[in-house]
Amino acid sequence: MIKLEHLTKYYKKHARGIIDVSLEIKKGEIFGFIGPNGAGKSTTVRTLLNLIFPSSGTATIEKLDCVHDTIAIRKIVGYIPSEVSFYGDMYVHDFIRYACRFHGNVNQRYLDSLVGKLELDTSRKIEDLSFGNKKKVAIVAALATHPKILILDEPTSGLDPLMQTVFFQLLEFEKKKGTTIFFSSHNLSEVQRICDRVGIIKEGKLIKVETIDDIMKTRAKTVRIKTQDVIEPTAEMINFERINGYVSFVYTGEMTPLVHLISTLHLDDVTITEPSLEEIFMHYYEREEVK
Amino acid sequence: MKIMMISEWKRSLKSLILWTAIVSGLVALMLMLYPTFKDAFSEMENFLAIYPEAFLEAFGLGEGGLDMSDFYGWFGVEGYLFVNLIGGSYAAILGGSILSKEEDDKTIEFLLSKPISRDAILFGKAIVVAINLLLLNTVVAIVLLIAFTIYGDLNVPVWLLFSYAPFLLQMIFASLSFLISVFITKSRKVISTGLGIVIGLYVVDLISKLTDEFEYLKYFTPYEYINAVTIVNDEMIKPLYLLISLALIAISFITAWFFYRKKDITA
Repeated sequence: MIKLEHLTKYYKKHARGIIDVSLEIKKGEIFGFIGPNGAGKSTTVRTLLNLIFPSSGTATIEKLDCVHDTIAIRKIVGYIPSEVSFYGDMYVHDFIRYACRFHGNVNQRYLDSLVGKLELDTSRKIEDLSFGNKKKVAIVAALATHPKILILDEPTSGLDPLMQTVFFQLLEFEKKKGTTIFFSSHNLSEVQRICDRVGIIKEGKLIKVETIDDIMKTRAKTVRIKTQDVIEPTAEMINFERINGYVSFVYTGEMTPLVHLISTLHLDDVTITEPSLEEIFMHYYEREEVK
Repeated sequence: MKIMMISEWKRSLKSLILWTAIVSGLVALMLMLYPTFKDAFSEMENFLAIYPEAFLEAFGLGEGGLDMSDFYGWFGVEGYLFVNLIGGSYAAILGGSILSKEEDDKTIEFLLSKPISRDAILFGKAIVVAINLLLLNTVVAIVLLIAFTIYGDLNVPVWLLFSYAPFLLQMIFASLSFLISVFITKSRKVISTGLGIVIGLYVVDLISKLTDEFEYLKYFTPYEYINAVTIVNDEMIKPLYLLISLALIAISFITAWFFYRKKDITA
């Protein structure tokens, strides 16, 4: 279980880090933590790993304090960073062995199966690897130690779609084992694909925590209309765009006025669909701005 | 800590071998030149007489200083400086980069995600620095032992002091660079600052010996603490200097530890 209570981090040089972030991630849950670059995702991850110290508030993992019980936490945590930086002059197999040695005995068969599934060439030097292959090294090194908690910061960046699928299968396997997963990402479709719940962070503040199902059940609808008539955007119309004779927007208001509006138009075409997570995300983001 | 230390030491091995080869090679070269110069010493004394006393003092050749016709005196003037300057440079580079390189290369993020405390990282790395410097000086000690046995009567205290007094100086440079690296994370900047200290304090040492006016500066330069003249003539390092050296090393490492354990790693 991961618990953040009023977690706040101010940087000396940069004004904003995270402000009053509180959330609770249950055991065995995959929690998506989404927001654009600079929103505070990495600050949260770094605080959990005690790379940085919180200005106020607390963060606990399995009831262990992130500041005072760092070694106990690191024993049970597997971490995949967004930018993989390992010792370039080491061979992959030496590096993985080194990383695992910190955790004591590692099941060699499981380690080999991870290497096989990710098609990782362990005989090469780390400095000779592409970004994607470095990411695979990070995945193997993190999963091979059988962590109770996985902290993932943009884990799929650099992986090709095939490897992303393999990676998600590995995460599903971890979830079945009861591993709690903190999945920080700005890629909404992958969060939608794998996560149980999602937290949206904006400018350092957690603005929404919902299950993926609930967040997708939002009343907002994506509307796409082809018409020669002029439609004036209202406050309920988010992401309002006119392209090639089509008007599209995410509608967040009551249905009756929308239906009434459509009925007054000379329509060539109209579609009303469930919005994608991206559109919902923008909806939350823009709504916060209006506030 | 042991796992990290072994890995760290393995990574530093190449540069240790290189620097040890340079320092011990130069020492061996200087020692091999001794027989050639020995015969020319009477002429050299006349040659040196034209230099002002202060100048000779700066190189340990003044009144009550070293006798270059003596083998220990020769090494004290010609070889010892190389050990101190080049060995000191290696110490500054090693001490300055061992911690900052992790942040500069962002590998610290990996290391701090493993079950190892910041204290263990800091002390483990400090121990690797000390071991490497000790190994470098031990190789130099072996070269000196061979040379001293061949060319003169082996004076064990002087041999040991010539071999391991530079370790004290190197540890001072290493610990100062180590401390700087807690605050400046760019390896290059730390190394150039560390090397600046090595050269700068040597200049301070020279100035302190040139005129009586600046003699007080000798307390601020570690080259004076392990002066070859004291080693050859008194067979010792002055207790006050030993104390200052140990205090400097301890204070640098403790200060580094104090700040590092609370430092935000933002690399």
